[in-house]
Amino acid sequence: MTRIETSFETLKNDVAAFYKMDKHHFITMNGVDLGNDEIEYQWFFCDYEYPCAETMFVAKANANVMVPSIREVVEPAWVAEAELSDLMGVEIENADKGFMLDVDSDEAPLRKKKK
Amino acid sequence: MATQYNIPVGAQHIALLEPLHFKFTTENEKIMKAEANVGYVHRGIEQACCSKFKFRQVSFVVGRVCGLCSISHTTCYSQVAEKLMQLDISKKAKYLRMLVIELDRIHSHLLCLSHVAENSGFEALFMKTMAYREFSMELLEAVCGNRIQYDFSIVGGVTRDLRPDVAKMVLEKLKIFKPQLDELVDIYSNNYTLGLKNKGVGVIAKDDVYRLSAVGPFARAAGIPIDVRNETEDTLPWKEAGFEVVTETTGDVYARNLVRLKELYVSMRIIENVINGLPEGDLAVDFKGFPSGEAINRLEAPRGELFYYAKGNKTQILERLKIKAPTFSNVAAMVHGFHDNEYASAPAIIGSYDPCLSCTSR
Repeated sequence: MTRIETSFETLKNDVAAFYKMDKHHFITMNGVDLGNDEIEYQWFFCDYEYPCAETMFVAKANANVMVPSIREVVEPAWVAEAELSDLMGVEIENADKGFMLDVDSDEAPLRKKKK
Repeated sequence: MATQYNIPVGAQHIALLEPLHFKFTTENEKIMKAEANVGYVHRGIEQACCSKFKFRQVSFVVGRVCGLCSISHTTCYSQVAEKLMQLDISKKAKYLRMLVIELDRIHSHLLCLSHVAENSGFEALFMKTMAYREFSMELLEAVCGNRIQYDFSIVGGVTRDLRPDVAKMVLEKLKIFKPQLDELVDIYSNNYTLGLKNKGVGVIAKDDVYRLSAVGPFARAAGIPIDVRNETEDTLPWKEAGFEVVTETTGDVYARNLVRLKELYVSMRIIENVINGLPEGDLAVDFKGFPSGEAINRLEAPRGELFYYAKGNKTQILERLKIKAPTFSNVAAMVHGFHDNEYASAPAIIGSYDPCLSCTSR
């Protein structure tokens, strides 16, 4: 798996430079709570070749910072962004809340609980 | 402009097997727009796997993500954990995993096909398909001990060996099933009324599959040979076992039926090759230590690409486990596929999507 470090400022351009829709498919977006309100965001892609190659874009940021959406470049990313917005309790650009969790669910179940 | 009506379908609806909500905007009888809501059954399994269970126990937990593709989840997790632990499992364990994955694919595809028939108004074909499916459930019980949610794959290998009498039973039942499958292929391909309900309906074109990153039979029905079994051999030797990718071209409900039916022949061939060429070896490797670092793994579940990400922190409990189910990847394409179809076709289209919300919501 190829790991590409990026930042919120360059994410859209980095993904746009990499992603060709007939060569790669978007797997999903993920978040890892690193503690101290820092989250590592990951965007996974895989190509259609044999043997296939997987690529992960990675950006770290404070949980309070709005995450840019890549849906302008990768159209189906809205599904994963809406899910992560609910499960990590973070703000993602243009992501609707309530896609994965009901209104009366616990908020941000995948965030580490503060002791 | 004609009057537009909003029609909700689900979360509980006669055409739905699982809690999924669609909101259709229709003009006369045509669906102009669809929206989906999948968040009804989130169970917090990822969080439980990273807080309540040790990493060796997690394969049993993720087996409960889904009743239909339990073996795909347990195997995919076991493989990602084996990558973290840098374990090399025996070839016998790999073969036995392929055996159960393909038996599982047979029962899952037949379930989907039966519901497409039912949602297309063909009750007799629904019952015939379900009756023919029963042999695969019996075989899964004989091989794994359970009809569903078989705890067969574990980190390091598998839990049960294949007894000679069970291997013989599998081969005998496959022989009985072969003409039954031929009959199903004939009906699903040539039945006139089913064709009216399925041909040219719910089309997802090749360009849309690329654009929306769809996976599984959904994508293969549009002519894209995306299949994890076709893309990697590092975890299971699919091509050695006789795998060949199946594609169709029209991308409609009819093509999705045909892809699933033809994949059953491939599954049967893999099962026969696995049993006839089952190598000697240990069922599972012993190991010590705790997982560290991060790894990903992909596996072709009945509905398409299943994806696991795991991160270890040198303790018994994983730092993070992420599960991405195939239906989750297909949500964007599912919504698109309704557009410009008759509302009356929606049940057959939904059936052909084979959505699994237990997997999607986890």
